[in-house]
Amino acid sequence: MHLDNIIRFDKVNLLRSQTKVLNDLSFSLSEKRVGIIGHNGSGKSSLVRLINGLLQPNSGNILVHGKNPSAGPQKMSADVGFIFQNPDHQIIFPTVEEELSFGLINQGYSKQQAQEKALGILVEHQRSDWAPKAIHSLSDGQKQLVCILAVLVMEPKVLILDEPFSALDLITRYQLLNLLDTLPQQVVMISHELETLENFDRILWLEGGKIFQDGTPAEVLPEYYASARKFRS
Amino acid sequence: MSQDKSLVQIALYAALIAAMGLIPPIPFVTGIPITVQTLGVMLAGVMLGPWRGALSMALFIFVVALGAPLLSGGRGGLGVFMGPTAGFAIGFPFAAFAAGYMAILLRRLPIFPATLLAAIFGGIVVLYLFGITGFKIISGREWLDAASVMAVFIPGDLVKAVIAASVAQAVAKGLPDAILTRKG
Amino acid sequence: MISLYMAHPSWLHRLPAGYKLLGLMLLSILLYPVANLVLMALMFLLTLILYASVGKPAIRQLILLKPLAPLFLLIFLMQSWSVGWLSASLLVLRMLVLILLANLITLTTRMDDMMAAIAPMFAPLKLFNIDPKRIAFAVTLLIRFVPVLMAVIQHLMEAWRARGGKRQVWKLAIPLTIQSIRLSDHVAEALAARGGISTISNPRVSNHESR
Repeated sequence: MHLDNIIRFDKVNLLRSQTKVLNDLSFSLSEKRVGIIGHNGSGKSSLVRLINGLLQPNSGNILVHGKNPSAGPQKMSADVGFIFQNPDHQIIFPTVEEELSFGLINQGYSKQQAQEKALGILVEHQRSDWAPKAIHSLSDGQKQLVCILAVLVMEPKVLILDEPFSALDLITRYQLLNLLDTLPQQVVMISHELETLENFDRILWLEGGKIFQDGTPAEVLPEYYASARKFRS
Repeated sequence: MSQDKSLVQIALYAALIAAMGLIPPIPFVTGIPITVQTLGVMLAGVMLGPWRGALSMALFIFVVALGAPLLSGGRGGLGVFMGPTAGFAIGFPFAAFAAGYMAILLRRLPIFPATLLAAIFGGIVVLYLFGITGFKIISGREWLDAASVMAVFIPGDLVKAVIAASVAQAVAKGLPDAILTRKG
Repeated sequence: MISLYMAHPSWLHRLPAGYKLLGLMLLSILLYPVANLVLMALMFLLTLILYASVGKPAIRQLILLKPLAPLFLLIFLMQSWSVGWLSASLLVLRMLVLILLANLITLTTRMDDMMAAIAPMFAPLKLFNIDPKRIAFAVTLLIRFVPVLMAVIQHLMEAWRARGGKRQVWKLAIPLTIQSIRLSDHVAEALAARGGISTISNPRVSNHESR
């Protein structure tokens, strides 16, 4: 296995005000599509934030495609793209073009180069007319697509999605899933919609900051569903 | 805290003040409607502290001057700074600074009285100093006259100071880290 | 949506923002000593003609003065009571002229042009190690998040009314403030995830050339 395209956690501990959020977590992800599931408060969001350095572990080692996230999110942003749950929390600029150019300018491209690249990815995804559009005129699904494109245009090696579909209707959800299928990046996705993880290569089920189950979707998803179904009277 | 995070806070509080301009004015006993916007000025100072509070209000006023209709009633543009209430707009950053400074001085008091006094000092004493001065310059009236015209707004602003203190108290319960004047 | 700017080209649009601002500043000084009512009324008329020359949408903007009417009336009445109607009329006309002209600049100047015209004023900030680009970024953030927070307010007010809320609307200030604090945490996080605001002289990240 080549060290350059895996995400490796080695005895990672994370504390938040005295309580253990992640407990001695060790794993190594080489699969192209990894899903993370678990009940609220199980540590999913913290785990993915460790991958791009938004959080730093209290102990243990992390290596993401050969890089250590202790360098901080700014250094990791070129390699790890992060999509959050609510597009309104991450879109910073009033127009699509400015939004797509932002990360590129951070990477050192000139304004003009960045605009060209931004237009390029819009054309590639048949949205060339979007460039001058005002963000607030887009639907939630369209905004989430802008978020994904804004990250993809930076050509990261890993794409992290933290419940990206929560606010989206079924059709938009499928359309975005189709897009994810075509990406060359390693994808790590948190989702409560188990269906969206069916085609993934591997599922981590987190519980109380530890890995509760680890396997293929066929192995893990039915058990997770059954464990939750018990609570429906 | 990182510089970027401070910048985001400054911008978001400025946006909050703008959004507050949308809450319909409350018709008060004096018959003069009070807007919720100066409440935001008090909050910016009390929550963000003197420097960030002042910067966020300066940003707000700056964008208003650029032409955004963000003052209550959809007012904006350079015309605001030529009108009789120009002093208030210009006083926003100073009022927020004063409120924040006072909140730090009083941080050993319980949160409600501390933020109430800070809001009164910044949002009324200091803000009116600017407002009355502005009104005097633009209308050419005498100090006492100018002050008496503006005095009708004071009861409403006292109510706002109480509201600012209750908001601060509520936030202190839910998100204690968000009140920067009470750290350390 | 968030600017008063009129995307309706006119001769005044083509005038550089700096000239317009300078003109307003000069006029505000020059108008002070004017004590001739006819002259002042003429200036007011001239201002209205200026609006007309810019086009119909500009004339429609005159409505913006409406909320100020009660205050103007109050000032006029008090001023005529203490120093006479002549100086009261002078004062009110002068204020109207300046407000209208300032507003006309706003109507005919794009925000980024205005920003470019004002930007040199920020140069001294460099002494305090504040990069003017950060100010531009803060303006962008503000413009982006006003509609988001306005939507939050609208939702809060709907929920408030749906539950029969009438009095004490001010209580909405509490959830509004809490939500904007949360929003600001999220935005700061998302910003960090995309490399922060270090938009200046960041060395190109190596993996892009090597790929």
